[in-house]
Amino acid sequence: MIRTQVTLRVNGDDREVWVRNDRTLLDVLHDDLGMPDVRYGCAEGVCGTCTVLMDGEPVSACTLYAVQAEAHEIVTLHGWSDPRREPHPLQTCFLERGAAQCGFCTAGMLLTAATMAERDPDAGREEIRHELVGNLCRCTGYQAIVDAVEDYLHADGGDA
Amino acid sequence: MTMRQDLPPPADRDPARIFEYQRAETWADAVELLGIWDDEAKILAGGQSLVPMLNLRLTYPGALIDVNPIPAAEPRVEDGRLVIDANTRHRAVAAAPAVRAHAPMLAHAVSFVGNVRVRNRGTFGGSLAHADPTAEIAAVALATGGDIVVLGPGGERTIPVDDFFVTYLTTALEPGDVVTGARLRTAENARWGFHEVVRRYSDFATVSVSALARPTGGRPDLRLVLGGVADRPVVVDRELLGPALDAPGDPVRARESAEAIAASLDPATDLHATAGYRRRLVAVHTRRLLQRVLGDEGGAA
Amino acid sequence: MTIVEPTEAFDPDAESGPQEREKDFRVVGRSPAHHDFVNKVRGTLLYAADWSLPGMIHGRLVRADRASARIAGIDTTAAERLEGVVCVLTAEDVPYNAIVEHASGGLGEVIVEQPVLAADRVRYVGEPVAIVAAADPETAAEAADLVEVAYEPLPGVFSAEDALKPDAPRVHDESQDNVLINWRFVRGDVDAAFADADVVIENTYRSQHVDHAYLETEAGVGWIENDVVTLRVSTQVIEHAAEVAAILGLPQSQVRVIASYMGGGFGGKEDMTVEPYIALLVSRTRRPVRMIWSRQESIQASTKRHPFTMRYRTAATKDGVITGIEADIIGDAGAYPTLSARVLFAGGALSIGPYRVPAVRVRSRAVFTNNVPSSAFRGFGAMQVTFPYESQMDALAKELGMGREEVRDLNHIEKGDLTAAGEPVTTAVLVRETRERALEMLGEPSRPGGPGKVVGRGFASGMQPYGRSIWFRDQAAAWVTLQADGTLLIRSGVTDLGAGQAASLCQIASEILGVPLADISVYIGDTALTPPAGGTFATRQLYMSGNAILRAARKLRDRLAPVAAKELGVPEDALVWADGMVRAASGETGISLPELVRAAGTARVDTSVLNTFHARSGVFDPEAGQGHTFPDYTFGTHAAEVEVDTDTGDVRVLKYAACHDVGRAINPVRVQGQIIGAAAQGLGYALTEDCAAEDGQPMSSLFADYLIPTAMDLPDISVAFLESGEGRGPLNARGIGEPPIGPPAATVASAIEDAIGVRPQALPITPERVLDLLEGGRS
Repeated sequence: MIRTQVTLRVNGDDREVWVRNDRTLLDVLHDDLGMPDVRYGCAEGVCGTCTVLMDGEPVSACTLYAVQAEAHEIVTLHGWSDPRREPHPLQTCFLERGAAQCGFCTAGMLLTAATMAERDPDAGREEIRHELVGNLCRCTGYQAIVDAVEDYLHADGGDA
Repeated sequence: MTMRQDLPPPADRDPARIFEYQRAETWADAVELLGIWDDEAKILAGGQSLVPMLNLRLTYPGALIDVNPIPAAEPRVEDGRLVIDANTRHRAVAAAPAVRAHAPMLAHAVSFVGNVRVRNRGTFGGSLAHADPTAEIAAVALATGGDIVVLGPGGERTIPVDDFFVTYLTTALEPGDVVTGARLRTAENARWGFHEVVRRYSDFATVSVSALARPTGGRPDLRLVLGGVADRPVVVDRELLGPALDAPGDPVRARESAEAIAASLDPATDLHATAGYRRRLVAVHTRRLLQRVLGDEGGAA
Repeated sequence: MTIVEPTEAFDPDAESGPQEREKDFRVVGRSPAHHDFVNKVRGTLLYAADWSLPGMIHGRLVRADRASARIAGIDTTAAERLEGVVCVLTAEDVPYNAIVEHASGGLGEVIVEQPVLAADRVRYVGEPVAIVAAADPETAAEAADLVEVAYEPLPGVFSAEDALKPDAPRVHDESQDNVLINWRFVRGDVDAAFADADVVIENTYRSQHVDHAYLETEAGVGWIENDVVTLRVSTQVIEHAAEVAAILGLPQSQVRVIASYMGGGFGGKEDMTVEPYIALLVSRTRRPVRMIWSRQESIQASTKRHPFTMRYRTAATKDGVITGIEADIIGDAGAYPTLSARVLFAGGALSIGPYRVPAVRVRSRAVFTNNVPSSAFRGFGAMQVTFPYESQMDALAKELGMGREEVRDLNHIEKGDLTAAGEPVTTAVLVRETRERALEMLGEPSRPGGPGKVVGRGFASGMQPYGRSIWFRDQAAAWVTLQADGTLLIRSGVTDLGAGQAASLCQIASEILGVPLADISVYIGDTALTPPAGGTFATRQLYMSGNAILRAARKLRDRLAPVAAKELGVPEDALVWADGMVRAASGETGISLPELVRAAGTARVDTSVLNTFHARSGVFDPEAGQGHTFPDYTFGTHAAEVEVDTDTGDVRVLKYAACHDVGRAINPVRVQGQIIGAAAQGLGYALTEDCAAEDGQPMSSLFADYLIPTAMDLPDISVAFLESGEGRGPLNARGIGEPPIGPPAATVASAIEDAIGVRPQALPITPERVLDLLEGGRS
């Protein structure tokens, strides 16, 4: 079986992996690098559970091949907010609002919302919903998630 | 673990089907690689349609030629045309000042392409070359008018956007050709409207209607494009627009045009709508858009 | 929230209510973010697919690509030749190739064995035919494609109504008429009621196949540990370990099932999914095995919600009083029994809704077809019938020129009134109160957004059981241990869907024992190490395991109280258990929990309690169609305002409100989350979701084509809950997981009818269907 060596920059570290050309970034992150915060949901780019940041913008790890990700900066939820440290204020808003039930969509929701918050700190409820449209959630009806993002954006002194 | 002698032999196929991965640093590279791989290779642009198809084992290219390393310049106006490089991501198209100024309908419509991740990866050229008959960018490019810029074994040439979309997922590209960009007519002070019907927000359009009316001395030069009603985006025959153009903003005449347009179509029935319902959607949304774009209610819709 | 004074006649499961000294809640009624929830937000929770073991191989199913065919042969040689393939298993490799469900509890259903792997015949598209294991998932997928199955076509039947026709192809030889079970609910003189009726309303309502579409597809990992086949899977029911053992031909002592926290379940992980396949591969290869169903497999072949065809006749006086209901409910069970007998039981039992009906004749049948098997899905039959029973109420109001609320007020049940099965409802019925609240929350009416658009409002009430059918004699155990350092260990066989099943146990134990939540650890869902709690379904876990933990915690408290009282020199009933301390009520003296544990050790008092809670039990007589059905019900009402585009039939939900009586809210944020989440799922069911198929062949298995609502498709949902203080759950809570999914479809239909004057009777209510109503239905 022919494999290619690629060096991926993930959460600030260089990681070397040997991959088949058809191995997606999702499978490398989840299975080869052992990252549970990037999850398989559909392999169609539809659901958002495998959302990661590539060069600062959310992408579907299931629609990228690992061989394509060389020389790009990949950040997963744990790179954005290290679980060994205090939660990001957006995570605190999620906790306060009950914005996760089963939790399977949560990593993707957070990364998508966090990117929007940086770009558009004045986003209203409708813009938040528009931005999150590609992150499907089957438990919450989205409302608590939108509430949490709104709280974060509109918090006094929030370091958005 | 059964084995029966009377079975047909296993299908004749190579089990270890893993594509070769080739990076193109320039469009000339891409053309050269396509030549080397003959018909076996596919261009990998944003990958938002192609990679899911590969993930689901629906297609087996011998090689993928990754054109993502090829840089895209900021959209700009050159020689009176809006130039957009093929590798411009949807997000960049939507945000580009030149697009907002000279193709406001495109900037608007691109925000409805897929979701934020699709817009971060998907490219302008990739969408054009994919030629999905429901795609927003194809429809708007057609309504806007201009040329698709193509590089092939024989060098660079242009294909009028009117001639570009041939049928379902098929364009006028020859084997060995790649789309390197487009040179679109600028909107000037055209009035425009774009509407797409989706069963669910952000999905591919069941039907889309794009209208662009350029002012002239007399009747405006109106182009109306329908998506989701045929094997490719369709430019509506000017004659059918006659009644609406005769009495701009008149609801009765707009309806007359819209219903004639709907009746002229032979759309398909699929999971999300029947042919009859698609015709209905065309009639309603075309009428509404014609009234808005031709009427006095403001320029953009 | 609104506190409603309990009515005097309430006689709860005496010990479920708060004791006098427990009435001043400290933890219950608040919404702390619990351990699993923090892990989810930090991205550290390990779901079923996140487990990895050395040498692990990957399983993949070969599934039938046709709905009804005889298997002429299977050729696995090409697959086995592929580099990296470990093995390919077919039916003859399965020691005992049958999943046997006695889903009705043995009350008269046809017994049909579902094969683990189809042997001689396939009965639905997606039915497992072979299993492949390989070194990596890509190779497993390639190998699965290389397994050649030769089929000979057989006739198939693709709707329940067709399956009932005399000449219909038989799906199973065991059933001559394709009927799995035929439930009856009969009381009163129905013929007389219809003969004497001033008005009779007759309509037929239809619902569709719906997918659970949890974000985490079916997945798990298995390995052998201590000679035991061990599975860690995403499941609602670890008790399937017994079935796995039977399939492997092993004693139950050699199969262990561990449940991971699920990435959603909604009933779709109530039947076995990956378990038998992983177990077979583990057993065969002796290596760790992972299997993840692809999204497309899940859409194509996982169980679905039953489509129901529901013919209703309602008899009433000219004053609007209902005198009789006759209903014929047909559920499409698909190709195998799964839980269809129970789903159709619930559909029949709840078919008259929260209304007083003196004469009832209901038939509820589960029918085999060559469609994908239908089984459990949040609402479980009781939700499908909400659409017809509420539509009939609106139709009656319209027929008599009465108000929709007025006609309901004449007919809704009160405590003590009878269900279709003739059993009195024993707790508060706040149908009217929830309705008033829901309608009030809609606020001022909206104006249509443009020409051709009309706005309408509607509402629907519903009742949904919580707890299993009571003839199952349900029970659940919970085990609490106060440890030397004063921390509390909870062990329970409960599985966690994401609704806070484990966290609720902690909250209740914390309330009773005063152990801070941060000092409680909870271990769940392990057939080897946690006491059996039954699965998480039927909105039963707060009721069952909640009562078990309440009683376990109280027993522990009451056992330790004499020790604390002696140490502190105060009477036992003067002790306050809070903040990790036991104090005298006067506040002057106290003892920390570690000190109490030490004192208990000295006094030889055990600090561990294992308690089993037994639910009420009863008997249902299927011949008479009368008897005991469910422990209790949760009532509620939803209201909506919609805008309809009369040119296109497009429906937009402008406002939505929901109100339920939850008895008592243990965790208000979670209660609200359940109500909004279920309403959202219900709106998808009402408007967009449909697993459309042609002759049993799905028209698409793409997630892109299965239209669950996105963040832009839903309005903000206003929620209120009432706390009647009556309910059979712990501290008088009622279950809330399923109840809010019942009303949305009827609510939206009611609002659409208000807007356009015609009632949708088929789901989902697509724009096309609305347009048909507008153009054909106008009188």
